[in-house]
Amino acid sequence: MLRRRLLQALPALAAPTAGSVQAQAQAQAQAQAQAGRRRLTFSWPSNAGPLHPHLYSPNQMYAQSMLYEPLVRYVEGGGIAPALATAWALEPDGRSWRFALRPGVRFADGTAFDAAAVVANIEAVLRNRPRHAWLALVERIEGVEALDPSTVRLRLKGGYYPTLLELALPRPLRFASPAALRPDGSLAAPIGTGPWMLAETIRGQHDLFRRNPHHWGPKPALEEVLVRVVGDSNARALALEAGEIDLTYGTDQLDGDTFRRFAADRRFTTAISPPIGTRLLAVNASRFPTEELAVRQAIAQGIDRAALVKHVLLDTEPAAETLFAENFPYTGLGLRAPGFDRPAAIARLEAAGWRLPAGGRIRQRDGKALALDLCFTGSDALQKALAEAIQGDLARIGIDGKLIGEDAGTYDGRQRSGEFGMIFGDSWGAPYDPHAFMGSMRAPAHADYQAQRGLPMKEEIDRRITGVLASTEEAVRAAEYRWLLTTLHEQAVYFPVSFLTNKVVHRRELGKVPFGATQTEIPFALIGQG
Amino acid sequence: MLRFALRRLASLLPLLLLVSFGFFAMLRLGRGDPALDYLRLAQIPPTDAALALARAELGLDRAIPAQYLAWLAEALRGNLGESWFTRRPVLEEITHYLPATLQLAGTAMLVTIAFGVPLGLWAALHRDRWPDHLTRAIAFLGVSLPNFWLGFLFVLVFAVTLGWLPAIGRDGFASIILPALATATMSACVMLRLVRASVLGVLGEPHLRFARARGLPRRTLIGRHVMLNALLPPLTAIGLHLGELMGGAMVVESVFGWPGLGRYALLAIANRDYPVLQGFVLAMTTIFVLCNLVVDIAYAWLDPRIRLEGAA
Repeated sequence: MLRRRLLQALPALAAPTAGSVQAQAQAQAQAQAQAGRRRLTFSWPSNAGPLHPHLYSPNQMYAQSMLYEPLVRYVEGGGIAPALATAWALEPDGRSWRFALRPGVRFADGTAFDAAAVVANIEAVLRNRPRHAWLALVERIEGVEALDPSTVRLRLKGGYYPTLLELALPRPLRFASPAALRPDGSLAAPIGTGPWMLAETIRGQHDLFRRNPHHWGPKPALEEVLVRVVGDSNARALALEAGEIDLTYGTDQLDGDTFRRFAADRRFTTAISPPIGTRLLAVNASRFPTEELAVRQAIAQGIDRAALVKHVLLDTEPAAETLFAENFPYTGLGLRAPGFDRPAAIARLEAAGWRLPAGGRIRQRDGKALALDLCFTGSDALQKALAEAIQGDLARIGIDGKLIGEDAGTYDGRQRSGEFGMIFGDSWGAPYDPHAFMGSMRAPAHADYQAQRGLPMKEEIDRRITGVLASTEEAVRAAEYRWLLTTLHEQAVYFPVSFLTNKVVHRRELGKVPFGATQTEIPFALIGQG
Repeated sequence: MLRFALRRLASLLPLLLLVSFGFFAMLRLGRGDPALDYLRLAQIPPTDAALALARAELGLDRAIPAQYLAWLAEALRGNLGESWFTRRPVLEEITHYLPATLQLAGTAMLVTIAFGVPLGLWAALHRDRWPDHLTRAIAFLGVSLPNFWLGFLFVLVFAVTLGWLPAIGRDGFASIILPALATATMSACVMLRLVRASVLGVLGEPHLRFARARGLPRRTLIGRHVMLNALLPPLTAIGLHLGELMGGAMVVESVFGWPGLGRYALLAIANRDYPVLQGFVLAMTTIFVLCNLVVDIAYAWLDPRIRLEGAA
């Protein structure tokens, strides 16, 4: 009897539970619509961090860019547009920049944004100079001064053409409210001039951003952005499908297979951005057997790039034939990678004396096998899949690619020490490419330096990189970049796989989701407008 | 009983020392350079100068036993160091994330008991008939399915397709149902089989035949004479299950975006965040040992022979 009563009651018990989540979500959406409020739910693998504009990990760059603005901003193709500065000019000495600040700008706490605020922030960065040693601009700044409340002068030690590009970076040269910036450089609260302000952080769960009422720019269509902490890409995809998040945005928020699935689903809109960086392998020119140009060229011809893009990346990224995509400054040189041609790659190796022993599958010369270490991060499933496909292609031309998958720390150690034949890496993306990425090629701690070390013209490469960064003449700069990029291309010291793209998936009703000009900035303020 | 508990508690200290030193040495003797990991997580370019500075700051230029003693001295003062990734004190992070994991593992334990005990009893009382075959099939399936896969399946069915329960997050009672079920399934199925075997063992004992001959009602017979005796072996297994559930929760937390210690530890493993890993292992060892202690006490309370053996 009791059992029967319970069974009869079950549907009644289940009904409120069953409908509760969807009903709650609908009621919430309705309430928000009535109140004229719009909230976007996004996800990210970790919390936004303390959101100090001048510091690094664990501060997340997408969130720093929501709160803090630069003097000038980067636009696709390497252009510079006004942000907190409305005008700028290089002074006749060729090394000082004068910036006219946007009038009427206020921080989220109501404090006025003026020359004193700029000076206070840049001086805080300079006091912590060793921490920013990776960024050439910080090292080159001699001082900063307020000429009047709406004009600042940035004095450099010498000419440095990427000054404006590096001022546009998401960090460290952005501006916190002087009321929140302590004399020791720490921050009392994350308060910037950007379109958003941090309203709430619950560690391990979410960060909530609310529209900044003091923002000088166009009012965002959204009122709030809730960023939930979701680390797993499959969990993220299911949450998107269940309607618990509204948007995924980034280079690797979803795997290629899942992205394709959403692309075929009418409830969702998907889009792929123009190239924002390069996925590549450095080929070590200072280590046997890739120290030999013929071997590097055979590798470049013997790997089927189109197949990698189609079958491993599932066409979510375009094939890359050059170190940088042509939508970056100084890179539109018309360079093309040698086409995939297995017989030609084999002939090249044969001509260089690399022969297959009777019954063997790996080429040899003077008793030495043609083998190289193909290194990747073990936990990166995409790198692993690419490495396995490349290993197969190499084997078909008689090269033994030994797969070495390791944790990130050991992998970094290899990049630093040059213990690799081929190793995966990404270029730094906009706005760092090409100038900052090429600048890092001079540092021994980078895989690029290690890979190039064996090139006969390495000294000249480094010298010319130093020269191009200081050059003030556009024509000279273009010519120098042409020489550098052509030389690296001809020396086959990189095997570019594909151009990284930001992939966006969202529900159709969200409206238009534009792409940011850089890899790390998500234009939440423009979502749903127009 | 108190002496019994104190003796078990005292054995915890050498165990913690052993585990913490073993793990400390393992981390340092493995491949890779902790200083390089530290710089990577801090996003500082690994120049020679930066590496030398990091090694000095972290004390990595000293011998491993000296490094361990320094860590231990701080740990005894309640300082487990600072996460290289989040830059927060490890102890504070562990205490922040632990309640969510305990909540998940605790709920999963309740599910394990609520599911495993009655079904195990039902199977035993209907030996070799359809309830027994059915529960055997369920148990076989349950122990064969990995919990993360089951988690994704639950989300797909109950959150995406039916929309009954949330897919991610920790927000109210509804949000714990799916993660707790995914975490508990394997343990519940093991418990089911264990209870079944244990009940069958008791059913064949002479005292039960005698009780039945006395004309005791079936409910009293099963409740007092079968279950009370049959529960001892499953009770021992609960201690082991709790470790299994805490471990299972680690993976399940990532699937459901559950803000617990497991997800935090997985991130630390991926990042090679040494101070967090060291603190995590210490915390888990302590919890595991304490849980076993509670089970041992419960066991001794239920079975006087254990107490008396201990006293003798």
